[in-house]
Amino acid sequence: MFYNVLRRLAIEAGSVQRYVNSTAHIRRVGAVCVSVRRFTDVKDGAQPPFDASLLQVLVCPLSKKPLRYEAETNELINEELGIAYPIIDGIPNMIPQEARLIQKDADASNTSQQK
Amino acid sequence: MAASVRLLTRRVVRLCQRRFNVTCVSGPGQQSCRGFSDAAGDRSTHFGFETVPEEEKAKRVYKVFENVAQKYDIMNDAMSFGIHRLWKDALLHIMHPQPGARLLDVAGGTGDIAFRFMDYIHSQQEKQERLRVQSMQTPSWQDISDKYSTEDEGGPQESTAVICDINKEMLKVGKQKAESMGVSAGLSWVVGDAEELPFDDDQFDIYTIAFGIRNVTHIDQALQEALRVLKPGGRFMCLEFSKVTNPVLARLYDAYSFQIIPALGEVIAGDWKSYQYLVESIRKFPDQEEFKGMIEDAGFYRVQYYNLTGGVVALHSGFKL
Repeated sequence: MFYNVLRRLAIEAGSVQRYVNSTAHIRRVGAVCVSVRRFTDVKDGAQPPFDASLLQVLVCPLSKKPLRYEAETNELINEELGIAYPIIDGIPNMIPQEARLIQKDADASNTSQQK
Repeated sequence: MAASVRLLTRRVVRLCQRRFNVTCVSGPGQQSCRGFSDAAGDRSTHFGFETVPEEEKAKRVYKVFENVAQKYDIMNDAMSFGIHRLWKDALLHIMHPQPGARLLDVAGGTGDIAFRFMDYIHSQQEKQERLRVQSMQTPSWQDISDKYSTEDEGGPQESTAVICDINKEMLKVGKQKAESMGVSAGLSWVVGDAEELPFDDDQFDIYTIAFGIRNVTHIDQALQEALRVLKPGGRFMCLEFSKVTNPVLARLYDAYSFQIIPALGEVIAGDWKSYQYLVESIRKFPDQEEFKGMIEDAGFYRVQYYNLTGGVVALHSGFKL
């Protein structure tokens, strides 16, 4: 009798685990679907334009010097330190760790850009 | 026998002294070693009730807000029964911005303060316009010619609000909200660190940080940066959860915070731990007087605080002179 109960318990626990996994998977798939939709939106219209008036206020967080907007790569460039801050979805990313060094490799920039 | 006892005691005493000397020498040596490792950057800070190294705190806070970004506004309404809207409205009323003011909203994420700021400015502009029209019922020829010469009635400088947050997800949610509400005019969105703001000195009239400063790793650095970017005469305003003064309310608040809020977080946002961190971080934040002292140390003058909802939330304000 106990063996039956234990077997039932084990099966139930297994099914709950499967249910949890499937909901997590569905949520993840849902997130992927949403992100795919967003990507197609961006592809249909042009990249949201960067607001040039921000340039008057923004400076490099490290050296506090003004930046130059580069339209081709969509980045804000600090000539003095040779780093470029990316602009994603029209929002400039001014975190020093996320900037890339212009001359060196992208990989080298991630390791050498320590705060 | 007495001699041998004396010898024995002398030997024991000498042994004890030697051991004592050894411990004495190692004691300060150990302490100095510990001091050296501290100086090497091994400092730790609090993440809720946990103790974590400082570098880790920023990463974990980022993850918390990345997880809750989509449901952030809904959770705010659920947890505070919508009272957070009253707190933010109170912030705007006490701020009383005039047209032409420039706002920097740090940790502004979903943009609640900035939206309210733009609304307030527009209503102030309308009020001024109405007063101007009333007073000009019988305009002189001078007034009429002036009206033709000026281009815009918005004043010499348009009000702008810059919303800065370290978390891209929160800003994305905020930007989408602005676009859907149609209030994007005059708003700018920047990803930036409150401890290292990407703005020049003496730029803004008002600096606000609403429910964000307790997540910053080095609060004093954030306060220094706030002082730097404000114009002389600029105002620093900080809304933050604080110590409840009434003991009965405090008990109820604690029970509510630790039992109900994480459960709500699990149900609505699917994230127990983030909201556990939230209520713990509130307990770890300094109380009203201590935070006022920190703001004064940073160099602000006329620092005062207002307790809202019995001390659940405190609004600190200081001026740069």
